[in-house]
Amino acid sequence: MSDLDDLPPAPDAAGTSLDGEKVFTITAEENAALCRSTGIEPAADGSAHPIYYYIATQVAMGKTVAGVCEACEFDVEDGPMMGSSGVRFDAPLKVGENYRVTGEILSLVRKRSRKLGVMDVLTYRLRLHMLDGTQVLETDNVWVLPRKEFAA
Amino acid sequence: MSHAVGDMLPPFTIESVSPQAMQQWAVFLADPNPIHLDVEVVKAKGLGDRVINQGPINVAYMMNMLMRAFPGGRIKAMDSRFLDNVYGGDRAVVTGKIAAIEGNAVTCEFSLDVDGRGTVNSGTATVET
Repeated sequence: MSDLDDLPPAPDAAGTSLDGEKVFTITAEENAALCRSTGIEPAADGSAHPIYYYIATQVAMGKTVAGVCEACEFDVEDGPMMGSSGVRFDAPLKVGENYRVTGEILSLVRKRSRKLGVMDVLTYRLRLHMLDGTQVLETDNVWVLPRKEFAA
Repeated sequence: MSHAVGDMLPPFTIESVSPQAMQQWAVFLADPNPIHLDVEVVKAKGLGDRVINQGPINVAYMMNMLMRAFPGGRIKAMDSRFLDNVYGGDRAVVTGKIAAIEGNAVTCEFSLDVDGRGTVNSGTATVET
């Protein structure tokens, strides 16, 4: 018997599309401001800060952060937490390039933790493409969604 | 420049994590979560008494350490784990070392530590040099 047997299963969110319609463009001005906000100067070769892997995919995916939470039947006001983030680059990100996002929720798994109590662990995958379809990167993010409603 | 497994990488330090940068990142991320912007919200949620850095900024600090350590190199892959919050005013230091070398691909292990609370982020990355 699992220690989750007394709980309802996590919502069936796997497979939810996160394909986006927006075109995301990294501007030189924003890239420079972002670099300086983290303590470095922007590159002179036209490459953007690689953290745009996270920003571009989050901003241009097909749902807002609140919308992703809603797909998991979770209120964003309850405080989703980042668990981990991974990225594989096929090409560097460039200032002035236009990008589009595809992706999907991979899984939503209910767990019980000593620190957080009942929580759902959300894993989703996003891909960033140039407008001709060439993939630039793939990222997997894991969020922890604490389920306060099941607190003992 | 030659590298060897076990080499320590030059640290990257943020002397004081900036609440103003968090305001900029709320725009960059199109995510106005008030825990990054309003200390009263942080207090009300019982999360501390300073605004909380957005997680991706912490990843950017770690990327900065790698880019400084390997000028002209390119991050090919990176995995980061979020272990605790970074707060406005924290002194944050990224340290790392070379874990493996295969051809021109250097795999590194690193962590982001804040004064008084230890490691708050950790990760691995492969840099093409």
